[in-house]
Amino acid sequence: MSDQAPLVLGIETSCDETAAAVVAPGRDVLSSVVASQADVHARFGGVVPELAGRAHLELLVPVIAEALERAGADGHPPVAAVAVTSGPGLMGSLLVGLSHAKALSMAWAVPFVGVNHLEGHLFASLLDHPDLEWPLVVLLVSGGHTMLVLVEGLGRYRLLGQTLDDAAGEAFDKVARFLGLGYPGGPAVDRVAAGGDPTAFAFPRAMAAQGYDFSFSGLKTAVVRAVEREPLASTPDVAASFQEAVVDVLVAKARRAVAATGSRGLCLAGGVAANSLLRARVEAACAEDGVAALVPSRAMCTDNAAMIAAAGQWRLAHGGPSPLDLGADPNLGLALSQATVKQ
Amino acid sequence: MILLGIESATDLVGAAVFDKEGAVNECSALGRRRHAETLAPAVAQVLALGGLVPGDLDAVAVDLGPGLFTGLRVGVATAKGLAQGLGIGVIGATSLEILAARALDTGWTDDVVAVVDGRRGEVFAARFRRSPDPGGLVELSPPARLRPEELPGLLTSEGTTTLACGDGALRYRDLLAGIDGVVVAGSTLAAPAPGSLVALAAARLSAGAPTLAPGLVVPCYLREADARINWLRREGPADA
Ligand SMILES: [Zn+2]
Repeated sequence: MSDQAPLVLGIETSCDETAAAVVAPGRDVLSSVVASQADVHARFGGVVPELAGRAHLELLVPVIAEALERAGADGHPPVAAVAVTSGPGLMGSLLVGLSHAKALSMAWAVPFVGVNHLEGHLFASLLDHPDLEWPLVVLLVSGGHTMLVLVEGLGRYRLLGQTLDDAAGEAFDKVARFLGLGYPGGPAVDRVAAGGDPTAFAFPRAMAAQGYDFSFSGLKTAVVRAVEREPLASTPDVAASFQEAVVDVLVAKARRAVAATGSRGLCLAGGVAANSLLRARVEAACAEDGVAALVPSRAMCTDNAAMIAAAGQWRLAHGGPSPLDLGADPNLGLALSQATVKQ
Repeated sequence: MILLGIESATDLVGAAVFDKEGAVNECSALGRRRHAETLAPAVAQVLALGGLVPGDLDAVAVDLGPGLFTGLRVGVATAKGLAQGLGIGVIGATSLEILAARALDTGWTDDVVAVVDGRRGEVFAARFRRSPDPGGLVELSPPARLRPEELPGLLTSEGTTTLACGDGALRYRDLLAGIDGVVVAGSTLAAPAPGSLVALAAARLSAGAPTLAPGLVVPCYLREADARINWLRREGPADA
């Protein structure tokens, strides 16, 4: 890689993945390194914020070094800019990445830019599908978020609906914990559900027919009650029926949003988008409705830094660099980033 | 040798430069829990005031804690990032050593017990004595996590007067002030200062102390992580 290529280093530490990536112009991913902390948090059945902060601080130097090396970024400076997630996420975790990114940008005398993690997820689909046609509906589902977003173009977002209580990924974690399936819950439920009967239990589909908002707390309670009623129920059947209920609601609402907005396609994003049933249902629904199904690779669905670098590349070009006194915002919303976009 | 010091482990946030002539410039402010917002501009400013650029630095010194978990991580991450970006080493010092170094700098000749407020009804403390060692102090007791009631035991020592300094000493001054042979320092010795950090680190480096590669720098937390499960994972955790 020549020293002149304006590479962007992306850094992501908002939750429990420590990640760094190098992206070349045109959102060409040269390297993407993700160190998962899943085993750090597994015995607690959920992310422990203080442990996450400590692990990020320990892992970030080697993860960044590996991302630069794999990309062949060995110039002086090795990259032309540093992009970093500044929110939303866990405060103590965000600050590790943000502080490290500012320091690298000072050391290399290159600009740095704070990136909205949610916008990063939207850009993840672009990395896998460079020729998108607008408008698109994005179903962003993760451990922290469940939202339907209308994307009218790069940087132009409209929030159609979101969860009123638990995020979809949180529901997976809670149910997996209740069923003793381990952590993280998403892959565990996915695996066990493959051998179960999804029609064994008729779990509620909250608000499936109306609006674009979601609610998953009642579903979790229904799973607990069903198992209490039938202690001998097959775990695969419970898992499959639960997963079926979540996916039903997600796909029904997303599909309705695509039709109502006249969108050209439906795009999946976020960690829960790695779920096999959700991926299959979205593809089937889009084929039936004659719209594009944009289902990024599993690696692009879960938290990674390539999506942060890609969003940062775009942000730098359209809003310029961030100031050195930028703070982290654990509750940063997507609407905020919309307000700063030059139209 | 040109050295940058990063201080962000307690309420005081800032940076200092130790330059070729041995002069120390420092730039700091009370953090008000805005450590990340304050630190990077302080680094940029203290370098600019000294007419320096990051590339001029030979090493980065950092306060490793103990102190505020999130605050000290902001400092250590900044030090690691600068060192990684510049390809230079890091030298760490504990918040307690930095406090003691400042206290001895004021001319105090007897022992010093540095006490950092650990919140949650605990303090972090260690006992130091003036010595010919590089940096001018020797650690008589290692950094420990204590209940405030345990402080008098650490503070009293036969035949010497002990200076108690740091925000922990100030917070629990009523517990300490009446003890024979104990003097509680005022607010100028409440927080470890970046200027004291660079001076201490420079003395140790000149005496041959090694620097660490940024990946090997480990903070001094002195308290296990609170393992409450955070189901509301997108909410910021309460700081230590
Ligand atoms: Zn995410």
